[in-house]
Amino acid sequence: MRRWLLWFLVVPQGFLLLGILQDLGLPSLDMAVLACLYLAFFAERSALPFLLLGVAIGRTLVDEASLPIHILVIGIPVALFLPLRGMFVAQRWLWQAVAAALLAIAVPKLAGLCGRVFDQPSVSSTLNAWHVLWSALLLPPLVSLLRHLPPFSAFTEPDGLTRPTP
Amino acid sequence: MAKKSAAFPVGLYAMLLFALAWLTLPRVFAPIERWTVGSACLVPRVASAWFGSPALAADRESLAQINELSTNLLKRVEQHDFAGAGASMSAGDRQLRCGVLSIGRRGGAGLPSELLLDHTYRELAGCREIVTKGDVLLGFLMKPGVGRAVDDTLDDPARVMLCNHREAPRLYAMLKNSDGSQLRMVVEPASTVDPAALRVDFWDDPYRAAALKETQQSIYTLPVEYGKERVPGGLLVGRTRRWGYEGEADEAPLTIGMFVTPAVDARALSHVVVWRAGDQQRSFSAPPSSLRSPRRARATVYDLPGATHGRHLLVCNEHVPDGAAVVQDGLFLGTARGLSFGAGLVTSFVASRQAWNLLVMPEGEGGAPIELHARVERAVGSVAWLRLSGVPLERLARMGRSYLFTGSNGQHCPAGLWIGLAEPAAEGFNVLKVTVPGATGTRLAEVFVGEKVQ
Repeated sequence: MRRWLLWFLVVPQGFLLLGILQDLGLPSLDMAVLACLYLAFFAERSALPFLLLGVAIGRTLVDEASLPIHILVIGIPVALFLPLRGMFVAQRWLWQAVAAALLAIAVPKLAGLCGRVFDQPSVSSTLNAWHVLWSALLLPPLVSLLRHLPPFSAFTEPDGLTRPTP
Repeated sequence: MAKKSAAFPVGLYAMLLFALAWLTLPRVFAPIERWTVGSACLVPRVASAWFGSPALAADRESLAQINELSTNLLKRVEQHDFAGAGASMSAGDRQLRCGVLSIGRRGGAGLPSELLLDHTYRELAGCREIVTKGDVLLGFLMKPGVGRAVDDTLDDPARVMLCNHREAPRLYAMLKNSDGSQLRMVVEPASTVDPAALRVDFWDDPYRAAALKETQQSIYTLPVEYGKERVPGGLLVGRTRRWGYEGEADEAPLTIGMFVTPAVDARALSHVVVWRAGDQQRSFSAPPSSLRSPRRARATVYDLPGATHGRHLLVCNEHVPDGAAVVQDGLFLGTARGLSFGAGLVTSFVASRQAWNLLVMPEGEGGAPIELHARVERAVGSVAWLRLSGVPLERLARMGRSYLFTGSNGQHCPAGLWIGLAEPAAEGFNVLKVTVPGATGTRLAEVFVGEKVQ
């Protein structure tokens, strides 16, 4: 119970924290992409629906679209990447960088698509090349750090992208 | 089996399906969003106590200027919306300006064909059926309990069917050729896949009609009665759009279809005019709209981190309805999404990407306000570039620097709130550059909350 409380307390505020860091001049990163990467590759599978809800709530704080749109925008890439969790184990960093770049493209594109279909357009549907680059470079190390810190550590699956022991 | 269940996360898919159901029935699930996002806002709300004390951005002089501009706008709207149709109506008929609450239901050319007004059927009792704007015929007031309005009661917002509505009556109309001759016709709503909202059904002289060379000719109503109602003559319906083959060399052109583009784009409508019959016994007075209350609640706006992106936290002691306009010293800041625990989230006009109904008032005396339907395409700081649709290009081409105001954007976002200064952009006629007076920090504001539920 405590881990859920911590998740819903901390993760939504992460979106605002990244905003503060961005205002301070740090490279612009999308918390939604970071969360997608964590959920797809490291998070406990059975906990995914409500982990996703926490992330979507956070995105609602910074984006004008409604909560269900954010559930779709974050949840669809997670659902697509989840079956690939066991692959590319030997090329962990490269694979994560590629996945982060793909997610940095997919999330705004999906936001644009959902915005058009459900008439809830938002500013986050603009694709930014710098976002893609910074996501590929910074998100894999950031995720590997975060998954050892609470509240992420409480939901990290032990088999998530670890090298098989001989 | 274990591997299969790992590759097929049922819970995740169920959540995605739930999101789709949520989007299909937003009203049913709205309390969940209010509560969950409202809870998440508690942390920044507590932190906001240390963000400084609220400040007023405008001094009294600027405030008076804004109020004067808004009053001037509404005066000009009335002046231009009321002009023109008077000669066609019965002597003694009185006009009443109504705001548009929402636009919907696809009609001819796939364009909206129905309006909901900010007055109820009861408030408009005794009004004629026709609805105009300037000298343009827009459509017809529906009757509660009849046809499309079968489920409406007297206290529901009055519904207007535009001329391209499937159930709209056919119009008896005419066009004047350049040689002075007239062609009479019957105009009816087009189908949703047609290239224009109306089409010509019958001509009085099909042979002359087939040889029509000109396009963009104005079409006016001819007086006709249907049932107990009367459509007066001389009202502008729209402009022709010829469909056919151009003749080669000396060959005459062949017109095989004639469509009519309405004179006013329904998507941009903020105000319409209804007519109260002069023979009504009751004394005429424009009733205030009970559906759109001007009541405002005091609130405080805090910039959320990354406020350059235009997201603000709103703290208010009253329930904030979704889509409520947030105004600071008469200046439109944006619309709010109401949450639980006295909070709300505001997206500033510049940061929003939703479609807006707007009003542009040219600088200088007497210029007619222009109604626009637009969407912010991009923004840099407090400057936004708006992509316009439904624009009368000939009027926009002559437009210089102007004042930009909100049009009618739902029940809680009325027309006439000042947004900023607008000027034509270098990108083209259908792009407008808008400069919004920018301000950051904690601010006192007001929210359009409507009447309290008793």
